[in-house]
Amino acid sequence: MTVAATATPLLEARALSFHRQDEPVFAPLSFQLTAGELALVEGDNGSGKTTLLRILAGLLHVGGGELLWRGQPMQRDSCAGDILFLGHQLGLKADLTPRENLQIAAGLHGRHPAKTFASVLADIGLRGYEDEPIRRLSAGQKKRAALARLLLLPATLWLLDEPYANLDRVGISLVNRLLETHTAEGGAALVTSHGAVSFHGGEPRHIRMQA
Amino acid sequence: MIRPGLARACTAMLRRDLTLAWRRRGDIAMPVLYALIVTMLFPFALGPEDTLLQRIAGGVILVTVLLSMLLALDVLFSSDIEDGSLEQLVLAPQPLALMLGMKILAHWITTALPLIVATPLLAAMLHLPAAVIPVLLLALLLATPLLSLFGAVLVALTAGTRRSGMLLALMLLPLCVPAVIFAAGAVAAAQQGLPWLAPIVWLAAALVLAVALGPLACAAALRIALDA
Repeated sequence: MTVAATATPLLEARALSFHRQDEPVFAPLSFQLTAGELALVEGDNGSGKTTLLRILAGLLHVGGGELLWRGQPMQRDSCAGDILFLGHQLGLKADLTPRENLQIAAGLHGRHPAKTFASVLADIGLRGYEDEPIRRLSAGQKKRAALARLLLLPATLWLLDEPYANLDRVGISLVNRLLETHTAEGGAALVTSHGAVSFHGGEPRHIRMQA
Repeated sequence: MIRPGLARACTAMLRRDLTLAWRRRGDIAMPVLYALIVTMLFPFALGPEDTLLQRIAGGVILVTVLLSMLLALDVLFSSDIEDGSLEQLVLAPQPLALMLGMKILAHWITTALPLIVATPLLAAMLHLPAAVIPVLLLALLLATPLLSLFGAVLVALTAGTRRSGMLLALMLLPLCVPAVIFAAGAVAAAQQGLPWLAPIVWLAAALVLAVALGPLACAAALRIALDA
């Protein structure tokens, strides 16, 4: 991952909109995100934050406007594997352990060569729980098991829907640290959150959603 | 960064589903027990008359196996949709159809294969001549993956609807008619000492088609289900 091609933004939305049964979910939205940047998506409940993230991840079709990935119209094949999405549903198998869940994610997405499953799980605060089925973990620990993907999988853009939910104070500062390292290494992230985010890697971009 | 190859991704997917099935191995036994009980009911209902049971044995076993598979089918994608695993799978840089094909293969191994293993027992309960059992097994080896693939497409299409189990049965059973006709035809021909290869080859041809198209249809249907 390099900070090359900073001239063209990583992600650009031009008058992006989305309709559900002909009702616009949010007002047309325009923003840019360059490598090394963090964007906070703000808005009230129901303002379409999750919808926006699902569109950017490619799970929902773009309703109107344009979405550019590295200057090109965004297509599934061009950005597959470069985007990591963490939604409300964590994508963890309850019968498997955190280690097994990570192994599957790495088998599908690939992983950083320097990192091991054990080191990633220790960094995320799950030391001693590596081989415990997910169903026996607390809500915060489950969240941590899902966040471990951020450390292990190679991706340029992180789309995090409420990454702070269910986490304790240590967990919240852990997420902030992850975001700082990621942006410092030339990655970018879009984060939705209700809580106050303290980010020390420069002023985050704010994307305000209006229903 | 290490990008996994197709083979590694397929292995990861297959291993995941087989491990999950193994963690809940009680569920694997259910369709087999159901098939045993249903087959056991026929001699009770019709009387233990050898010639009658022999004549219906092939068809009864085929239909029983089909219904048993139906029991386990509707959970094929539902847990992955509920816990968000499917979203992660869709976003992975791997061909979705191939990954779903692996899921269907794992599902076939955990539901249909135990039924096929139990088939000689079912055949014995209905006094099916031992010489016909290999033909019955061959017919099942071709017909059950066909049903898994048909079923998977329908499960993908009905994903997200409430009470999809009943709807699934109503949609799948008519589609199974050709498979049942050819499989039962092969068994009946073998029982009468006639050549039975032609219906088996028809089943094989249908299976090749379903293997090629089924996963693609599943992938398209699930993308639409997530898009809703």
